[in-house]
Amino acid sequence: MFLTAWTPIDDPAVSSDTALVHRLVQNDVSAFESLYDRHSPLVYALVLRILQNAGPAEEVVQDVFLQLWRNTAKYDASRGPFVSWLVALARNRALDALRRKGERQRRREDQVDELPSVAAAPQYEREIDQKRRIERVRSLMGELNPRQKMAIELAYFEGLSHTEIALALKEPLGTVKSWIRTGLMRLKEELQATT
Amino acid sequence: MKNCDQFRELFEGYALGVLDAEERIALEAHLATGCSDCAKSVAEAHWLVSHLAYITPDSRPSEMIKGRLMQKVRAEARNPRSRGQSKTSVQFSLWAGVAALLLITLYSVWDAHQSKQQIRAAQGQAADAEAQLAVARIESAILIDPASVRVALSPLNSSGPKLDAAWHSQYGIVLTGQNVPVPAGNRVLQLWLIPNALDGKPIPSLTLRPDASGKFVLLISHPPKVAAETKALAITEEPPGGSLQPTTTPLWVGRVG
Repeated sequence: MFLTAWTPIDDPAVSSDTALVHRLVQNDVSAFESLYDRHSPLVYALVLRILQNAGPAEEVVQDVFLQLWRNTAKYDASRGPFVSWLVALARNRALDALRRKGERQRRREDQVDELPSVAAAPQYEREIDQKRRIERVRSLMGELNPRQKMAIELAYFEGLSHTEIALALKEPLGTVKSWIRTGLMRLKEELQATT
Repeated sequence: MKNCDQFRELFEGYALGVLDAEERIALEAHLATGCSDCAKSVAEAHWLVSHLAYITPDSRPSEMIKGRLMQKVRAEARNPRSRGQSKTSVQFSLWAGVAALLLITLYSVWDAHQSKQQIRAAQGQAADAEAQLAVARIESAILIDPASVRVALSPLNSSGPKLDAAWHSQYGIVLTGQNVPVPAGNRVLQLWLIPNALDGKPIPSLTLRPDASGKFVLLISHPPKVAAETKALAITEEPPGGSLQPTTTPLWVGRVG
């Protein structure tokens, strides 16, 4: 009957982000879907953390991936990993949404463009797989002084400036600057150390 | 290059967005002079900062979002002109020696940019809502039009639910289901059209994943063949993104007409 032509084939191999992005430029919808399935949990978790509300977070996720679909050609694979670019795009959009909604009074000076700046990975980045990077980042953040960790989180997830963080934590401005910079330097060293 | 030292401690803060206006504008003015070393350091700082996203545990958005997104993307893929409406990026040509003027100019640009972003966001939301409404209208038109060809898809495993499809010659196919088991992991269900030709191979159509309650509504706006040229519809489970040929045996099959 009508199932005689049914000839199952093996599952296709998993493609790299770069290969999928290349296919995306060619209007390949299945490549888009693969990138969505692969990265939407990270993007959604980040946006949800920033907006603290599932409804608006899902809208931003949808917007981010539509931007990916519509502006793929603007991502230059030779200048940095795709996931860093996507994460920066998602963070910018979520912080924009946070400001638009006026959920908080903030005066963070805007440095957001239509698309994020290029995030260039140093040489050592290519040798660390994503799982190990995630573990390393979480482990390092757990080791930081809780106030230092809070300062970094206020900056990254709430878009506060040095001055605003100093006011929020009631700490001297110099201390806050130092906490954030040394925290990021430790992260950089940690990522470099294992290569 | 001789000015770079004063900016060296600002790169990570710049990427993180924590610099106060004066520091940020000074660094941007320096970058605008074309300092490639500092530009490279800033790019690396952006990469470093992007790792902070990993602090949050992974969490999945609802399947509904993916469904809506895929419908839009598929619609735009069929009409490439609607894809990638390029937005002009503002190019700032800054001169290092006019710092005072720069401060005023940048502030004005920032202010205008904020307003533009708000307008653009509102326009985008309105366009999205309009697109969703248009899809819902098409689905309703297909479902209520008596001229639509009805197809009942029966599960080959007798315990599964039946699925319903309505095929309209002008508007396409609407496929609906309830209490449908959600495929494991990221796998998807994919619709296939089985042509009348004797050795006709299944024609791949859209993929879907039911929501948490097992419900889905899928609109296939432009089926490749009219109903009369299609013998049956079938659904298989496929890897993420779907397949060009079925990789598993069908879970549901329904004869057309």
